[in-house]
Amino acid sequence: MARIGVFVCWCGSNIAGTVDVEKLREEAAKIPGVVSASDYKYMCSDPGQNSLRNVIKEQKLTGVVLAACSPHMHENTFRKAAVKEGLNPYFVEIANIREQVSWVHEDKERATAKAVDLMKMMVEKVKRDRPVEDVKVPLNKKALVIGGGISGIQAALDIANGGVEVILVEKEPSIGGRMIQLDETFPTLDCSSCIMTPKMVEVNQHPNIKLYTYSEVEDISGYIGNFKVKIKKKARSVVEKDCTGCGECWNACPMHKNVKSEFNLNLSERTAIYVPFPQAVPLIPVLDRSVCLHFKKGGKCQKCYDACGPKCINFDLQDEIIEETVGAIVASTGYDLMDTSMYGEYGYGKYKDVISGLQFERLLSASGPTEGVIKRPSDGKTPQTIVFVQCVGSRDPEKGVPYCSKVCCMYTAKHAKLFAHKVHGSQSYVFYIDIRSTSKGYEEFVRGTMEQDGAIYLRGRVSKIYEDGGKLIVKGADTLSGNQVEIAADMVVLATGVIPKKGSDKLAQMLGISYDKYGFYTESHPKLRPAESSTAGIFLAGMAQGPRDIPESVVSGSAAASKILGLFSKNEYEVEGTIANVNEATCVACFYCRRVCAYNAISKKEIKDRSGKVVKVVASVNPGLCTGCGACVNACFSKSIDVKGFMDDQIYAEIKALAI
Amino acid sequence: MAKTKTDEKLQKIAKDLLESKEISLLIGYAGGSNPGRMRPFFITKPEETEKLSFGKYAVQDLAVFLKKPEVKKFGKIGIVVKGCDEKAVNALIQEFQISRDDVKIIGVECNGVIRQNLADKGETKVSESTVYDKCLICEEHTPVLYDFIVESEEPELAVSGNVKPYADIEKLEAMSAVEKNAFWAKEFDKCIKCYACRQACPLCYCSRCIVEKNMPQWIDTNSEETGNAQWNLIRAYHLSGRCIGCGECERACPVNIPLMLINEKMARDVYKLFGYKSGKDIDAKPVFGVFAESDFNDFIK
Amino acid sequence: MEDKDLKTAAKTTDKNSGDPRIIAFVCNWCTYNGADLAGTSRMKYSDNVRVIKLPCTGRIDPLFIIEAFKKGAKGVLVSGCHPGDCHYTSGNYHSRRKYATFRDLLGYLGVDLNRVEFSWISASEGNKWVAVINEFTDKIKSLSGNSTDIFTKK
Repeated sequence: MARIGVFVCWCGSNIAGTVDVEKLREEAAKIPGVVSASDYKYMCSDPGQNSLRNVIKEQKLTGVVLAACSPHMHENTFRKAAVKEGLNPYFVEIANIREQVSWVHEDKERATAKAVDLMKMMVEKVKRDRPVEDVKVPLNKKALVIGGGISGIQAALDIANGGVEVILVEKEPSIGGRMIQLDETFPTLDCSSCIMTPKMVEVNQHPNIKLYTYSEVEDISGYIGNFKVKIKKKARSVVEKDCTGCGECWNACPMHKNVKSEFNLNLSERTAIYVPFPQAVPLIPVLDRSVCLHFKKGGKCQKCYDACGPKCINFDLQDEIIEETVGAIVASTGYDLMDTSMYGEYGYGKYKDVISGLQFERLLSASGPTEGVIKRPSDGKTPQTIVFVQCVGSRDPEKGVPYCSKVCCMYTAKHAKLFAHKVHGSQSYVFYIDIRSTSKGYEEFVRGTMEQDGAIYLRGRVSKIYEDGGKLIVKGADTLSGNQVEIAADMVVLATGVIPKKGSDKLAQMLGISYDKYGFYTESHPKLRPAESSTAGIFLAGMAQGPRDIPESVVSGSAAASKILGLFSKNEYEVEGTIANVNEATCVACFYCRRVCAYNAISKKEIKDRSGKVVKVVASVNPGLCTGCGACVNACFSKSIDVKGFMDDQIYAEIKALAI
Repeated sequence: MAKTKTDEKLQKIAKDLLESKEISLLIGYAGGSNPGRMRPFFITKPEETEKLSFGKYAVQDLAVFLKKPEVKKFGKIGIVVKGCDEKAVNALIQEFQISRDDVKIIGVECNGVIRQNLADKGETKVSESTVYDKCLICEEHTPVLYDFIVESEEPELAVSGNVKPYADIEKLEAMSAVEKNAFWAKEFDKCIKCYACRQACPLCYCSRCIVEKNMPQWIDTNSEETGNAQWNLIRAYHLSGRCIGCGECERACPVNIPLMLINEKMARDVYKLFGYKSGKDIDAKPVFGVFAESDFNDFIK
Repeated sequence: MEDKDLKTAAKTTDKNSGDPRIIAFVCNWCTYNGADLAGTSRMKYSDNVRVIKLPCTGRIDPLFIIEAFKKGAKGVLVSGCHPGDCHYTSGNYHSRRKYATFRDLLGYLGVDLNRVEFSWISASEGNKWVAVINEFTDKIKSLSGNSTDIFTKK
């Protein structure tokens, strides 16, 4: 039998001024199942809580209703008090008679009638409360980081330095991501390689980090604390443990200068067996079977094998599938540049000397294709005049994307500055829409480019670029002076918008995390939970979430890491027990519940007989993933799923309590 | 009854499938108790296929049997379906009630089936005025999905446009709330809560219907005005966006409640709202399993 | 027909139609907080409404709407987070589809759709909560007859 206690709070005159608290108490006492009804000036005060505890104890209450302020104010307070007397915390319900009665109504009689209704509803609800035990999920204290750019590296190092094992998976042959492609970084102009390479090396040497490069995540199942991960380690054709990175193999490769270098964005060539760049980590080559003569010409060529001292080249190596179990995941898959072919007027791809900002980085880089000397891709001459065009694709809802790519204003200012430093007497022009330079030292940096380095900033769009007599003629508008301008340039650099890394949507589907319409991963809460994905145990970092610069990427990597270290500081992960529950007897496995679940919390469960034969398939709720939102209940035609804390019969009883 | 080419072809397909053991049960049609009727026909042996037939009296949607446990236990099943009925098979596949691999779909081209009440009185001609309303709006004379197809021998249904299918929907839409209320109260008043509509529906496959759920009993079981209205409302709601329009509920109703006026109305509205028609594509996500950010929002303040 | 209308109206006019019961099903995160905010801001609004709190509009089932009418409510409000703001990512989107459909069905069966209201009210929209409740209450009071009697007639 239910033994319910109703406690009416006056909240001084806040409630008692408008609601007849004594009448409320009297009405409460009349409800079947209510064994105690009392009122008190301030239920949340120490004496108030003590009286609550005393009644629970003395009357052996099975449920408590507080007619008081909003549950969002003191539900926790009263739950904690109830727990101290051995009551399940979920057996405490609040009738909100302050925020939703006494403060918003004036007629005392009517306000009291409403308060009585709300109190009755909660008594009926609490009578049907089931004990809810918080679910404890064991944690495999190992983390997976997907993507070895700066944010992934930062996350991996922070987690590893916290004493937790990390698996870092990188698609490319080397870690380093986009940052290692950059020359110098704004606004301090420190050399990207100089600050990045030590971190890459640290990753490779860290006892807590297991690095898989040239590898991809194939499959992920499970949930927070217990993700099963399948990693495909693509065949490198090089036995990694024996390779010394001496370079004899790629020097011997006859496919010299035949394949465009991906790392240098097609501005140089590479061999079939190659490392993407000299500081690659790990410094172990990859044999590109799609171009290697050994594979194309029936095994005749094996010059790399012949040249290799330790004989670590093995043409027969196969892709390997590695299985790991981890407790948490960081998705830091980074970004790509937009395809700018829709801007035919800019001539990218048509004119060799119209290049992207990232290509310009490679031209600036001392380890790049031109060894840091700025040369035109067309004829190798050093340009004297460069036009930089900002917002190519960004902030263009018509042809590109509506969002701002955030880093272009700053790197363009950096490009113009470095150009002025490297080519004396040169001139750069920057077409911009707005200058966005809002972080520390950024505005001063852009000012410097304009004022000390003489870059001419033109506010307006470029309408056309065409070649004429070895020059690129750039036509555009200077909207501040109202003039049309025409510049004869030697080179044009497009500040191309950033988009999520190709394939990051597929990974998101595998992980069960959500992404926005552009493909950027969405945060669990854009402001208050910026490091968490919508799925418990999966965290986000870097440009995979949206445009951001290096410091922000580093911060986000660290944030994800600290979240994981925090999570792993306990042995079990506690989930609120107010989760969905399937009635397996009546479930017909139509899986509408699974379709509407935003958390991938519903899976197929096979019920087998003793011989192992599947006799029935039903939906099953993963307690580690379920958030108790109840969308599945609404989706279920036969109501074979219900959610604790807001069970169907409770809602029914609440409505019934309001019957007139 | 003379064997038609359609029958011969059907019988051959069925025989082959049963002989090769690709299926262990075939669900088709055979001649009924009077010349204007065809009945469902279950075959497990190749030699039984002789009676298999199809024609203008093949009214019943055989897909309804696919949800039955006594049919499911046969494993691989062959089924003879018209275009409309085949959509039910698709919807069942979409909702994981059967596996595409477990069903051999023998599609028959159909140019309309004669209303049973007319056929019982001896009607033999397939025409605009003798077929079901669903035939007049049929988009699947040839089923959208099949493993085998049997061509029709009936001439294509001539549609003059003089007969307006489901004409009462527009009339109802034009009524005031009070008038609609009165119309449906009168119809639902007839309901005897026999649930034949549910049993005849290929997509009502819940093992425990919402109306049979107590604690809480959301839908009253009493067979009078209020319970009847609730039942008919929830049945229609659960079929909205799922009903494929075979009309079996209405045909099964012993008190002639015009259920298709509700089903067809909801099918139209769901199509208008979300551009979705049920049972057209086994790879499509059911309309209430997905959403679009741009979904209709005008009714929300 | 007019006669019948009048008859129906006369038969079903509620004894307390001047004081109609309104039930509001609201989500915990946006609208419930919005209603709380109206309280902390000491805004005043009509006291006919009774709020039932659910975790999310995704949990607010059309069955609740029927049940509310069955139990004598003269108006039902469903309210949750604005599109894009759902605490559970997509509960409101999924439910919006269902509500749009269910509402059509209710209307077709003769329920006056003035009696079923849907709104998106965020935690910061205490004033919107007040406006929605006041307007809805006024509207319900102004309706004659009882077009939900399809569920309630005895």
